[in-house]
Amino acid sequence: MSHSRSVLRTETFTCVRCGLTATTASPAGVRRNHCPRCLYSRHVVDHVEGGPSECGARMAPIAVAVLRDGDWALIHRCVTCGELTSSPIAGDDNQFILMRMAVRPLAEPPFPLETFGDL
Amino acid sequence: MPRNNASTRNPQRAKTVLHGPGGERGDAFRCVGCRLDVPLMAAGTAHRNHCPHCLSSLHVDRTPGDRRATCRGRMTALSVTVRDGGEWLIVHHCQRCGGLSVNRIAGDDNALALMRLAMRPLRMARQSAPAG
Repeated sequence: MSHSRSVLRTETFTCVRCGLTATTASPAGVRRNHCPRCLYSRHVVDHVEGGPSECGARMAPIAVAVLRDGDWALIHRCVTCGELTSSPIAGDDNQFILMRMAVRPLAEPPFPLETFGDL
Repeated sequence: MPRNNASTRNPQRAKTVLHGPGGERGDAFRCVGCRLDVPLMAAGTAHRNHCPHCLSSLHVDRTPGDRRATCRGRMTALSVTVRDGGEWLIVHHCQRCGGLSVNRIAGDDNALALMRLAMRPLRMARQSAPAG
Protein backbone atom coordinates (compact mmCIF):
# COMPACT_ATOMS: atom_id res chain seq x y z
CA MET A 1 0.00 0.00 0.00
CA SER A 2 2.80 2.38 0.89
CA HIS A 3 4.50 1.50 -2.39
CA SER A 4 1.52 2.63 -4.47
CA ARG A 5 1.26 5.84 -2.46
CA SER A 6 4.87 6.76 -3.09
CA VAL A 7 4.38 6.09 -6.82
CA LEU A 8 1.41 8.43 -6.76
CA ARG A 9 3.49 11.11 -5.14
CA THR A 10 6.36 10.99 -7.65
CA GLU A 11 4.29 10.52 -10.79
CA THR A 12 4.48 13.45 -13.21
CA PHE A 13 2.70 14.71 -16.31
CA THR A 14 3.66 17.22 -18.99
CA CYS A 15 1.40 20.20 -19.59
CA VAL A 16 -0.12 20.22 -23.09
CA ARG A 17 0.22 23.99 -23.35
CA CYS A 18 3.36 25.22 -21.60
CA GLY A 19 5.28 21.95 -21.40
CA LEU A 20 5.88 22.16 -17.66
CA THR A 21 6.51 18.83 -15.98
CA ALA A 22 4.30 18.80 -12.91
CA THR A 23 3.69 16.20 -10.25
CA THR A 24 0.33 14.45 -10.46
CA ALA A 25 -0.29 15.01 -6.77
CA SER A 26 -0.74 18.53 -5.43
CA PRO A 27 0.98 19.65 -2.20
CA ALA A 28 -2.20 18.76 -0.33
CA GLY A 29 -1.91 15.20 -1.65
CA VAL A 30 -4.93 15.20 -3.94
CA ARG A 31 -4.69 14.39 -7.63
CA ARG A 32 -4.57 17.49 -9.79
CA ASN A 33 -5.96 17.84 -13.28
CA HIS A 34 -4.45 21.11 -14.46
CA CYS A 35 -1.01 22.58 -14.87
CA PRO A 36 -0.03 24.70 -11.85
CA ARG A 37 1.77 27.25 -14.02
CA CYS A 38 -0.64 28.02 -16.90
CA LEU A 39 -3.73 26.33 -15.37
CA TYR A 40 -4.56 24.54 -18.63
CA SER A 41 -6.05 21.08 -18.45
CA ARG A 42 -6.62 18.27 -20.92
CA HIS A 43 -9.97 16.83 -21.96
CA VAL A 44 -9.58 13.18 -21.02
CA VAL A 45 -12.78 12.59 -18.99
CA ASP A 46 -16.25 12.97 -20.51
CA HIS A 47 -18.32 14.52 -17.72
CA VAL A 48 -21.68 14.35 -19.50
CA GLU A 49 -21.64 10.75 -20.67
CA GLY A 50 -19.10 9.51 -18.15
CA GLY A 51 -15.97 7.52 -18.82
CA PRO A 52 -12.94 8.55 -20.87
CA SER A 53 -13.31 11.14 -23.60
CA GLU A 54 -11.89 10.71 -27.10
CA CYS A 55 -11.43 14.48 -27.47
CA GLY A 56 -8.05 14.86 -25.77
CA ALA A 57 -7.78 18.57 -26.58
CA ARG A 58 -6.53 21.21 -24.20
CA MET A 59 -8.95 22.90 -21.84
CA ALA A 60 -8.58 26.61 -21.17
CA PRO A 61 -9.38 28.10 -17.75
CA ILE A 62 -12.24 30.56 -18.21
CA ALA A 63 -13.53 31.44 -14.76
CA VAL A 64 -13.09 31.20 -11.03
CA ALA A 65 -16.04 29.95 -9.01
CA VAL A 66 -16.51 29.79 -5.27
CA LEU A 67 -17.56 26.49 -3.75
CA ARG A 68 -19.89 26.26 -0.79
CA ASP A 69 -17.01 25.93 1.65
CA GLY A 70 -15.37 29.13 0.37
CA ASP A 71 -12.64 27.44 -1.66
CA TRP A 72 -12.01 28.50 -5.21
CA ALA A 73 -12.68 26.23 -8.15
CA LEU A 74 -11.45 26.60 -11.70
CA ILE A 75 -13.86 26.27 -14.61
CA HIS A 76 -12.26 24.83 -17.73
CA ARG A 77 -13.63 24.89 -21.24
CA CYS A 78 -12.42 22.50 -23.93
CA VAL A 79 -11.12 24.53 -26.86
CA THR A 80 -12.27 21.89 -29.38
CA CYS A 81 -15.65 20.60 -28.23
CA GLY A 82 -16.61 23.26 -25.68
CA GLU A 83 -17.31 20.98 -22.73
CA LEU A 84 -17.10 22.60 -19.31
CA THR A 85 -15.60 21.11 -16.18
CA SER A 86 -14.84 22.47 -12.76
CA SER A 87 -12.03 21.41 -10.48
CA PRO A 88 -10.77 22.74 -7.16
CA ILE A 89 -7.56 24.74 -7.23
CA ALA A 90 -4.37 23.42 -5.69
CA GLY A 91 -2.12 25.24 -3.25
CA ASP A 92 0.65 25.88 -5.79
CA ASP A 93 -1.53 27.08 -8.65
CA ASN A 94 -0.43 30.28 -10.32
CA GLN A 95 -1.87 33.05 -8.14
CA PHE A 96 -1.34 35.68 -10.82
CA ILE A 97 -3.51 33.92 -13.40
CA LEU A 98 -6.13 33.06 -10.78
CA MET A 99 -6.43 36.64 -9.64
CA ARG A 100 -6.42 37.89 -13.22
CA MET A 101 -9.37 35.64 -14.02
CA ALA A 102 -11.23 36.71 -10.90
CA VAL A 103 -10.96 40.44 -11.66
CA ARG A 104 -11.44 40.14 -15.42
CA PRO A 105 -15.25 40.68 -15.31
CA LEU A 106 -14.79 43.76 -13.18
CA ALA A 107 -12.30 45.20 -15.66
CA GLU A 108 -14.86 44.99 -18.47
CA PRO A 109 -18.27 45.67 -16.94
CA PRO A 110 -21.28 45.51 -19.28
CA PHE A 111 -23.00 48.35 -17.44
CA PRO A 112 -21.66 51.56 -15.90
CA LEU A 113 -20.43 50.87 -12.41
CA GLU A 114 -21.02 54.46 -11.30
CA THR A 115 -24.71 53.69 -10.70
CA PHE A 116 -23.81 51.29 -7.91
CA GLY A 117 -22.67 54.22 -5.84
CA ASP A 118 -26.22 55.56 -5.79
CA LEU A 119 -27.79 52.35 -4.46
CA MET B 1 -15.17 51.32 -22.27
CA PRO B 2 -15.99 47.97 -23.85
CA ARG B 3 -19.76 48.37 -23.77
CA ASN B 4 -19.85 50.50 -26.91
CA ASN B 5 -17.75 48.38 -29.29
CA ALA B 6 -20.45 46.05 -30.63
CA SER B 7 -19.68 46.83 -34.26
CA THR B 8 -16.65 44.52 -34.42
CA ARG B 9 -18.54 41.34 -33.55
CA ASN B 10 -20.73 39.09 -35.63
CA PRO B 11 -24.45 39.41 -34.91
CA GLN B 12 -25.93 36.59 -32.86
CA ARG B 13 -27.92 34.10 -34.89
CA ALA B 14 -31.58 33.54 -34.05
CA LYS B 15 -32.49 30.32 -32.20
CA THR B 16 -35.65 28.26 -32.58
CA VAL B 17 -36.46 27.06 -29.10
CA LEU B 18 -39.75 25.55 -28.00
CA HIS B 19 -40.64 26.98 -24.62
CA GLY B 20 -44.29 25.91 -24.26
CA PRO B 21 -45.32 23.17 -21.80
CA GLY B 22 -46.08 20.62 -24.53
CA GLY B 23 -43.12 21.58 -26.67
CA GLU B 24 -45.07 24.19 -28.62
CA ARG B 25 -43.61 27.61 -29.08
CA GLY B 26 -44.39 29.85 -26.15
CA ASP B 27 -43.56 33.47 -25.61
CA ALA B 28 -42.66 33.23 -21.93
CA PHE B 29 -41.35 30.81 -19.34
CA ARG B 30 -41.66 30.71 -15.60
CA CYS B 31 -38.49 30.89 -13.54
CA VAL B 32 -37.85 27.84 -11.35
CA GLY B 33 -36.09 29.94 -8.75
CA CYS B 34 -38.32 32.96 -8.14
CA ARG B 35 -41.47 32.04 -10.20
CA LEU B 36 -41.19 35.18 -12.29
CA ASP B 37 -42.88 35.06 -15.70
CA VAL B 38 -40.06 35.84 -18.11
CA PRO B 39 -40.83 37.00 -21.65
CA LEU B 40 -38.52 35.55 -24.28
CA MET B 41 -37.96 38.78 -26.15
CA ALA B 42 -35.30 40.91 -24.56
CA ALA B 43 -32.63 43.29 -25.69
CA GLY B 44 -29.18 41.83 -26.10
CA THR B 45 -30.03 38.13 -26.29
CA ALA B 46 -31.23 35.75 -28.97
CA HIS B 47 -31.51 32.76 -26.67
CA ARG B 48 -32.60 33.63 -23.19
CA ASN B 49 -32.24 30.69 -20.86
CA HIS B 50 -32.12 32.31 -17.44
CA CYS B 51 -34.32 34.49 -15.31
CA PRO B 52 -33.31 38.16 -15.43
CA HIS B 53 -34.21 38.58 -11.76
CA CYS B 54 -32.48 35.66 -9.98
CA LEU B 55 -30.36 34.33 -12.92
CA SER B 56 -31.59 30.74 -12.39
CA SER B 57 -31.97 28.43 -15.34
CA LEU B 58 -33.32 24.96 -16.10
CA HIS B 59 -31.20 22.06 -17.33
CA VAL B 60 -32.98 21.16 -20.58
CA ASP B 61 -30.40 21.70 -23.33
CA ARG B 62 -27.04 20.20 -24.15
CA THR B 63 -26.45 22.69 -26.93
CA PRO B 64 -28.72 25.75 -26.96
CA GLY B 65 -32.24 24.90 -28.07
CA ASP B 66 -31.91 21.17 -28.67
CA ARG B 67 -33.82 19.99 -25.53
CA ARG B 68 -31.64 16.86 -25.38
CA ALA B 69 -30.80 16.97 -21.66
CA THR B 70 -33.03 14.64 -19.67
CA CYS B 71 -32.08 16.13 -16.31
CA ARG B 72 -34.47 19.12 -15.98
CA GLY B 73 -32.78 20.14 -12.74
CA ARG B 74 -32.52 23.67 -11.47
CA MET B 75 -29.37 25.50 -12.54
CA THR B 76 -28.04 28.31 -10.39
CA ALA B 77 -25.53 30.91 -11.45
CA LEU B 78 -22.07 29.82 -10.36
CA SER B 79 -19.72 32.37 -11.80
CA VAL B 80 -19.15 35.00 -14.46
CA THR B 81 -16.65 34.75 -17.27
CA VAL B 82 -15.67 37.14 -20.05
CA ARG B 83 -15.28 36.49 -23.75
CA ASP B 84 -12.45 38.02 -25.71
CA GLY B 85 -14.80 40.70 -26.99
CA GLY B 86 -15.60 41.79 -23.45
CA GLU B 87 -19.14 40.43 -23.13
CA TRP B 88 -20.07 38.63 -19.95
CA LEU B 89 -21.20 35.02 -19.76
CA ILE B 90 -22.89 33.38 -16.80
CA VAL B 91 -21.68 29.91 -15.84
CA HIS B 92 -24.64 27.86 -14.63
CA HIS B 93 -24.30 24.84 -12.37
CA CYS B 94 -27.01 22.18 -12.30
CA GLN B 95 -28.09 21.43 -8.74
CA ARG B 96 -29.26 17.96 -9.70
CA CYS B 97 -26.58 16.43 -11.95
CA GLY B 98 -23.70 18.87 -11.46
CA GLY B 99 -23.47 19.83 -15.14
CA LEU B 100 -22.17 23.21 -16.24
CA SER B 101 -23.23 25.53 -19.04
CA VAL B 102 -22.52 29.07 -20.15
CA ASN B 103 -24.91 31.66 -21.51
CA ARG B 104 -24.56 35.28 -22.50
CA ILE B 105 -26.09 37.82 -20.20
CA ALA B 106 -29.13 39.69 -21.51
CA GLY B 107 -29.68 43.41 -21.50
CA ASP B 108 -32.25 43.29 -18.71
CA ASP B 109 -30.41 40.95 -16.36
CA ASN B 110 -30.27 42.10 -12.77
CA ALA B 111 -27.11 44.19 -12.56
CA LEU B 112 -26.89 43.80 -8.80
CA ALA B 113 -27.09 40.01 -9.01
CA LEU B 114 -24.45 39.99 -11.75
CA MET B 115 -22.20 42.21 -9.70
CA ARG B 116 -22.59 39.99 -6.64
CA LEU B 117 -21.64 37.02 -8.78
CA ALA B 118 -18.56 38.74 -10.16
CA MET B 119 -17.46 39.89 -6.72
CA ARG B 120 -17.91 36.49 -5.10
CA PRO B 121 -14.35 35.17 -5.62
CA LEU B 122 -12.88 38.37 -4.23
CA ARG B 123 -15.26 38.60 -1.30
CA MET B 124 -14.80 35.10 0.06
CA ALA B 125 -11.83 34.44 2.28
CA ARG B 126 -9.72 31.70 0.80
CA GLN B 127 -8.84 28.82 3.03
CA SER B 128 -6.38 27.15 0.67
CA ALA B 129 -4.26 30.18 -0.14
CA PRO B 130 -0.54 29.44 0.21
CA ALA B 131 1.47 31.54 2.59
CA GLY B 132 3.89 32.87 -0.02
